[in-house]
Amino acid sequence: MKDEVKIILDICDKILLKNVDHHLRLNPESNSTQFKTLKDEIISSELTKLLVKEDLGGAGMTLNDIIPIVQLSAQYGTPIPFIETIISNFLLSELNIKPENDFITLTNKTENIIIKSDKISGTFKSIPYLNLAEKILVETEIKNQKYIILFKKGGKLKLQKNFLSEPKFDLDAAELEIISMMEKPEQIDVQNLLINVRSIQSFGAMEKILKLCIEYCSQRKQFGRTLSKFQMIQNHISEIALEVAASGASLSTLKNNNKNFYNLKSTAIPKIRTGIASGKVIALSHQVHGAMGFTKEYELSYFTKALNSWRNEFGNEIYWQNILGKLFLNQNKNLWEFLNH
Amino acid sequence: MTYFNFPHIEEDDNLKNLRNDVKSFLKTTFNSNNIKPQADAWMYSANPEFSKKLGEKGWLGMSFPKKYGGREKTMLERYVITEELLVAGAPVAAHWIADRQSGSQIIRYGTEKQKKEIIPKISSGECFFAIGMSEPDSGSDLASVKTFAKKTADGWELTGRKIWSTGAHLSHYMIVLARTEKLDEKNRHSGLSQFLVNLKLPGVEINPIEDMTHQKHFNETVFNNVKLNKDALLGEEGMGWQQVVGELALERSGPERFLSHYILLDNFISEFRSKMSEMGITSLGKIISELQTLRMMSFSIAWMIQEKKSPDVQAAFVKEAGNVFEKKLIETIREMSNLIPFEEWSSSLKSLFQDATLRIPANSLRGGTSEIMRGIISKQLGLR
Repeated sequence: MKDEVKIILDICDKILLKNVDHHLRLNPESNSTQFKTLKDEIISSELTKLLVKEDLGGAGMTLNDIIPIVQLSAQYGTPIPFIETIISNFLLSELNIKPENDFITLTNKTENIIIKSDKISGTFKSIPYLNLAEKILVETEIKNQKYIILFKKGGKLKLQKNFLSEPKFDLDAAELEIISMMEKPEQIDVQNLLINVRSIQSFGAMEKILKLCIEYCSQRKQFGRTLSKFQMIQNHISEIALEVAASGASLSTLKNNNKNFYNLKSTAIPKIRTGIASGKVIALSHQVHGAMGFTKEYELSYFTKALNSWRNEFGNEIYWQNILGKLFLNQNKNLWEFLNH
Repeated sequence: MTYFNFPHIEEDDNLKNLRNDVKSFLKTTFNSNNIKPQADAWMYSANPEFSKKLGEKGWLGMSFPKKYGGREKTMLERYVITEELLVAGAPVAAHWIADRQSGSQIIRYGTEKQKKEIIPKISSGECFFAIGMSEPDSGSDLASVKTFAKKTADGWELTGRKIWSTGAHLSHYMIVLARTEKLDEKNRHSGLSQFLVNLKLPGVEINPIEDMTHQKHFNETVFNNVKLNKDALLGEEGMGWQQVVGELALERSGPERFLSHYILLDNFISEFRSKMSEMGITSLGKIISELQTLRMMSFSIAWMIQEKKSPDVQAAFVKEAGNVFEKKLIETIREMSNLIPFEEWSSSLKSLFQDATLRIPANSLRGGTSEIMRGIISKQLGLR
């Protein structure tokens, strides 16, 4: 890891350690002091501009550099649009637009978009943390051309009913003010980028779950000994550890080059592997925790709900297995050639 | 808070070129010597002539120092060669253990004389090794071995039995883990030592054991008061346990833990590429993702070994995840063939499938059982 990344990671760790707790996760209110303090510290430390080009006032880091930061944020179960803002500012920066000093959230799920005199109307779906952000970045297609558009929040917010840890909203918007609008550069694939962010977050959340399992089983006693001394429990936790390790290794496909975040094969591999792992980790970690893990107050469920949400986004792992299988079969290469290119 | 790190290692152009060189060599050598690819070839397919050819190419003893006949190449280069050999189903069983772990043990712990005598022969593909760890009463509980080496005026006298030693009947040497002191129940890992035992010595008796596939690849080796010279001791007396743990990392972390039956997958795809159902394609996508992940883990460990780190626990991950993967591979092939009745498969594909189905139960036993791997992981996590 580069020294520069280590320093940023350290700063980020201190801010999240000080400000993020389970109370915040359960009470994601934009007017709470806890939220305001966390937001102020993140914005003022410029952590949301890590991927912004230096000449636009950012740190000029690569997508590869921020993998451990996305991972860390997920380990903390950070219930704010922190990563969404980093990615939004990155996309703005790629379009040579100055970043925002505020939280931004984003989506690429849009319907019936109409642009008229610097105003945007339409339906926007599955927008994370829209309650905590004032601006929205969207990727949308208009007449066979994809655009990236930043606009101010407004209109009717509808909270999705689901099993999510992070709140997601649908928005029906009428004539909201556009701040920036540019054609999307060919090389950027927003959906694959968002999927890869989810794969990294899933890995981070699974690491946290492994930690919770170890701590819980090392403290709780039944039948006169700690749970961790039971072989069956050790077996469950070692299986969780295996899945966590494999998930982390699967992210290797993304390393070394920003382009890997847009590439179908390098996106599919960790999406599938972390999806498979998530299913096992959710089931085993709840089994290990007993009834305690099923409560709202204990933090395990926050992370397992997040995993359940992320593994079902943008097509689940089974959907992606089919895509990856076809990607290979359509290339007319033998499997070994496909794996090595 | 990262529990088990597998650093990303990029395969550079040098390694990519090496892959191509190995591929070309294998194609030519298979054709000119009428070699047929085999599944699980590192266990079942021994061909000393082929091993010698690999030695001549400079592809054995890759990481050993030149002064002992090695090549001073990297573990990553060795990894690439190993993968290509496995994927081709090349007959590598004769030299496999010597090249994978025994040579490294001798480089690490051996005397100058041992290194000069043995390493050049391993590098030229002319010296083969077997593993002398398990015993009839010591399977997973390796510290309970009873084979005893008694000190004599001239060296040592070895008595006991080793079992499940793959290729012992073809090998020149066995590294034997033996007690040199009586078992101390309070300190079970002490009093063990490793010995380099020439299998041609008087008193060594090798009895092949037929496995459930009717093959005789593993053996029982009996040591009847075998006289060993003083310099048969490998490493330090009493440090056998510590030495063996490092050896096991080499044994467990390689791509043979998930590529043993790759040619079955490859042949199935070649034969039925255009006939797969949507379900079959979906199963294939899953196996691709899992296989590529395992390769990244194993490649990363090769780099850790090269950097003199001790990836013992990471090796347990690859071993266990690889075992799970290969067992699943059989089921995946069955899913992929849901529209293609077995009767329609070519006879060579049927044969590969049947071999794999029969041999798979051994995967999660050899080199340490799944239960032992999970125990290692649990210990590292502080649970025991």
